[in-house]
Amino acid sequence: MKNHIILILILFVTTSVKGQVSPEIELGAKGVMSGNFEIKDNNSTSAVSDFSDSQILLGFRQKLYNNWRAQMVFGMQFPDADSDLGQVFYNHVFLKLENQKNIVKVGRSTTQTIINEFSTLRDDDAMQFNYSLNPFSNGVNTQDNQYGNVIEYTHIFKQRVWLTFHGENFADLSAPDNFELNSFGGSLIYIIPESQIWNRNIIQRVGLSYNNYITNRPGGELLKNILGTITLNLKPDPVHFIDLKVQGIYNVGFTSIDSINSYSNYVNIGSFSTFGTIRYVYRKYERPMIQTSLGFGYKTFNNVTESEQIIGIANVFYRIGENFDLGFQYRYLKNNGQSGVLFGQQEHRVQIAMVYTINQIFNNQFDTRNSILNLEHSYLK
Amino acid sequence: MDRKEFMKFSAMGVAGLAMFPTNVFSKETKSTNNKLFPTSLPFSKEGDWKEFKISIGITEQEIAPAMKIHTLAFNDTVPGPEIRVKQGDKVRVIFKNNTDLIHTIHWHGIYVPWRMDGVPYVTQMPVMPGKEFIYEFIAEPYGTHFYHCHWGTLLHMQSGMYGSIIIESDDDPIKKAFPYEREYTLIYSAHDVNFIRNELNAMLERMKERSFLMKNEMFDAERFNLFNTKEELLEAIENGYQPPYLVNRRSSAELPTPNWFTVNGKSYPSTPYLYIKSGENIRIRLINAGTENHHLHLHGHDFWMVCDDGVPLPQPWQRNTVSLSPGKTYDIIIKGNNRGIWTFHDHDTRRVTNNGMYPGGNLLALVYEDLPKEETLVGKMGALPKIALDE
Repeated sequence: MKNHIILILILFVTTSVKGQVSPEIELGAKGVMSGNFEIKDNNSTSAVSDFSDSQILLGFRQKLYNNWRAQMVFGMQFPDADSDLGQVFYNHVFLKLENQKNIVKVGRSTTQTIINEFSTLRDDDAMQFNYSLNPFSNGVNTQDNQYGNVIEYTHIFKQRVWLTFHGENFADLSAPDNFELNSFGGSLIYIIPESQIWNRNIIQRVGLSYNNYITNRPGGELLKNILGTITLNLKPDPVHFIDLKVQGIYNVGFTSIDSINSYSNYVNIGSFSTFGTIRYVYRKYERPMIQTSLGFGYKTFNNVTESEQIIGIANVFYRIGENFDLGFQYRYLKNNGQSGVLFGQQEHRVQIAMVYTINQIFNNQFDTRNSILNLEHSYLK
Repeated sequence: MDRKEFMKFSAMGVAGLAMFPTNVFSKETKSTNNKLFPTSLPFSKEGDWKEFKISIGITEQEIAPAMKIHTLAFNDTVPGPEIRVKQGDKVRVIFKNNTDLIHTIHWHGIYVPWRMDGVPYVTQMPVMPGKEFIYEFIAEPYGTHFYHCHWGTLLHMQSGMYGSIIIESDDDPIKKAFPYEREYTLIYSAHDVNFIRNELNAMLERMKERSFLMKNEMFDAERFNLFNTKEELLEAIENGYQPPYLVNRRSSAELPTPNWFTVNGKSYPSTPYLYIKSGENIRIRLINAGTENHHLHLHGHDFWMVCDDGVPLPQPWQRNTVSLSPGKTYDIIIKGNNRGIWTFHDHDTRRVTNNGMYPGGNLLALVYEDLPKEETLVGKMGALPKIALDE
């Protein structure tokens, strides 16, 4: 026997390690309360108290073996009163597995129907212009376009380029109990991490996405959408920050449709829509203090002339405390020709709002993907 | 499976999981062990001056097997290199800041000129990203001291910005009283790794902005929370400025709760061995560069506490436990008079843990090199020491 003393690591894995691994708990919430005043084309007016888009999210996350992480998220949202979705809509119920370069997500979550984030009071304020619209929906609610039962795989190249393949089961009005995938697609997006957005001279985000909806038309004909987006830093300055965001959606559509006299035709007809915002953010004490933006959108249709849609949005938010904003938004919507018949010719909407958002992590244990330490000083597993 | 098979199976399993198939007395082990003590920083002679170069950067540190954290490291090591000079030497340290953060170096216990004391906005302007600062002083007084960053001290020190500075005397009183050949420097620290991670990230984000603003001559006192005088601060508050410690800007007291305890930047089982031989004296320089009290206890021996904050004690104290509070240094002498392998650890056993799990932390072993192999055998357990990660 060699004259050696061996130092041994003893791991009684199955017998002695019974400790509960408590997860990180993330609580996110957003309260959006607004008073809406609307004037429509027949000079009819309405004033409502609106708390739609308010939501609460609860996430649990923990490290797995072999450097993977798991996350489970539950979320509920308060939809529009006339959405036919009830008092509460469960917008997030999913599990996610991820490591440094890969993400797998399965469950109810946001869909790839938009590939940028615009500075509107609510996410759906310009939905007909900046979302790829669900062709299976009747258009009564906006959640049909935003959320679905998804299965996604993303590979991240060099911490910036996100390649995603995805399939979805979108809510289908004609077959509400059918949960088969009725959409699939892919996207390639270059994204500057949030912590470094102001610190890039020109390109903040650029991306391309391709969606296919498996319709119930004869032969299961696919409805194809192509989305492209770019965000440019016009003034990359941490105090006075200006960026420009533009997204275009080309809906290849079905050539057999030559009118938009129904919502089904509206989403299945060939169309091109674009929406963009220019945003100014003033950051006092290294936190946002004032944000104001101007947005403009335009939508035109194949086979139908003089039926364009136009939208203009102006808003300003003033932060009166950490995460608490007072906001004002004016939206003008103009629908020409057949789109005017379908949706009404025009609408002015003024909103005065309060917005409170929180995001709190309890039992914090590990770093986030986009932290500066991970991005610039090597990723710690 | 009968008992015999179980024992055989267990032995195979344990052997299969051996992480360190090495000999605690082998040259290789000792060579590796030497690297667990601060390395002496080389210097160049510039006239009468001994000139040292120190830089600071962000590195990864494996504080225990498979447990890595981001650290702020002098010359890429935690702790930083040891500066070892003679009493009365003229010392020049060229400090280069290679991070996006702000730093200084404070010479803890050294009689430096006040402009060399490393306290930002009190004795010097802080060393900005990419910049250098030259510290010059005469090496006084004799003894065991240390240096550390004095900017964002709570975060920067527990992130790794500390190192030893030893001022030797040709007429060393300790060596006279307790002749010794070998000595070891042990620098203790405590780390809340979540606090380090979160605060480093936040500080890096802030500094990126501030560097940009300074570069573009957009300095703003309130944004930087920096005022020339207290009166100026009070006036700003009168005019609506809200200090960053108010509850509407920072809600809860997020003071760190250390969950890792290191010696020379390592937690058990990565901590160093202290080698000794029967009849030998060894000197150990204890430095607490962390925020916690450590009640250090040596098994099977008394030791002699010979220096307090570097100052030789007129009457060495014989004891087996010493309480090393933050900022303190003690020198102790261990006499090799009880052959064996003995633990030397914090008797506040919360600090002998890794992320709350015992054993870990600042658990060390005093190892007699002349211990016969057969004395290390304990029945069927085989040879000691082993590394047990739970009990």
